[in-house]
Amino acid sequence: MNNLTILVVDDDPVIRRLLEQRLLKENYEVLLAEDGYVGNDLLSGNHVDVVLTDLMMPGDIGGIEVLEFAKGLERNIEVILITAHSSVDTAVEAMKKGASDYLEKPINFTELFLRLEKIATMRSLLRSAEDLRQAMDVTESTAAETIQNLEVMTSTLQIKVDSVETILSNESLASEDKVSDALDILQEIS
Amino acid sequence: MLKITPAELKSIAQYIHDISGIYLDQSKSYLFETRLSSIAEELGCSSYLALYDKARRDPGKIIERQIIDAISTNETLFFRDNGPFELLKHKILPEIIDLRTPSSPRLKTNIKIWSAASSTGQELYSVAMTIKDLIGTQMDNFNFKLLGTDISDNVVKQASYGKYNKFEIERGLPRPTLQKHFTLFGDSWKVKDELRAMVNFRKLNLMLPFTGLGKFDIILCRNVAIYFTLADRKKLFNKLADSLTDDGFLIIGSTESLTGICPRFVPKRHLKAIFYQKKT
Repeated sequence: MNNLTILVVDDDPVIRRLLEQRLLKENYEVLLAEDGYVGNDLLSGNHVDVVLTDLMMPGDIGGIEVLEFAKGLERNIEVILITAHSSVDTAVEAMKKGASDYLEKPINFTELFLRLEKIATMRSLLRSAEDLRQAMDVTESTAAETIQNLEVMTSTLQIKVDSVETILSNESLASEDKVSDALDILQEIS
Repeated sequence: MLKITPAELKSIAQYIHDISGIYLDQSKSYLFETRLSSIAEELGCSSYLALYDKARRDPGKIIERQIIDAISTNETLFFRDNGPFELLKHKILPEIIDLRTPSSPRLKTNIKIWSAASSTGQELYSVAMTIKDLIGTQMDNFNFKLLGTDISDNVVKQASYGKYNKFEIERGLPRPTLQKHFTLFGDSWKVKDELRAMVNFRKLNLMLPFTGLGKFDIILCRNVAIYFTLADRKKLFNKLADSLTDDGFLIIGSTESLTGICPRFVPKRHLKAIFYQKKT
């Protein structure tokens, strides 16, 4: 079972159907959109890990706009563009805007699955790193509390010890007064 | 991966300490291997001793810099621990601003802040963001000078550039803060010019004298002394006390302690965080 949810945005019903079948066969969760408008609606209402979008689509919302919308919504979404050979330059430009990758038509499914696997591996590594960080944060904050309490306590004790030292070395005080004053300070500690 | 022998370990550990102050536990040989093997291989060295010899004989000290870059830990994130930034916002900055408010509105006072091990800059930019968010329109009355220093050339360069990838951004930066202080730059984010203009980064080895730095109102020296020996830690915090104004503030890492290290500092508590000031 692959955990990734993939949104396919393509105006060509044949490509949409083909991608759906192949992705479902590989156990990915699949959402389908016939244009950028529906794509953006689905992005707003669902958790999506990867967007697989055609670069050129009819209407005002093409692949680049879907990419920008997805990234604006959630930085972690990976976007793979599907492009005709003639639009490779635009796809490269899109990579600069945050697309993870592009695939040329006709889609090579081995290539597509390799890329999706890479994304899944990367996500799982990031998740492990995040878990480790959280574990470290808990340990660190517990240790910090203990250390900081000890730090303040030691400093307070040091001030008391210094006062006792001053009293005991005060030549103008009688011995019994020194002891009594020193004891007063020591009693404050507990 | 190239294996390190016990004799090599001893020489290399000593060499690293000499050039950077970083004390590496010799029982952790894997640490040396994972961090240095690629440099050794790249330079065609068949052993760590050969790398050590080559580094010592390198007049341009390029290899020394590569070794420091590889061995230093650059783990950092925006608003790390949060406590110090709450402390800055609610206690330290208001107090320093009160103390340094100029007598005439036409005058400007300098407020100097130093991040002593600034790594890739996240800590200093977090301080800059805290200042901007706190005093916003009153910024004109003060001349904030924020300095970040680090021993590694690489991280100083990265910090100066102020560009962060999505993984670095995701650690610690809330979305509104990101949008306020950064601009999208391809798949990365760049610190806005006004924030960038508040900070400066330069290379500094904390083991060497702090010449020409002057005195600071606030010093952050977090999670760097942990890599030093006790003797070096004592020297470092003594020098930091010299570099701090008499009413200045020192912030150290949340799990660090100055007990038995520098009696010139007294810990003070504000809410759940601790800061240090010089004994009067």
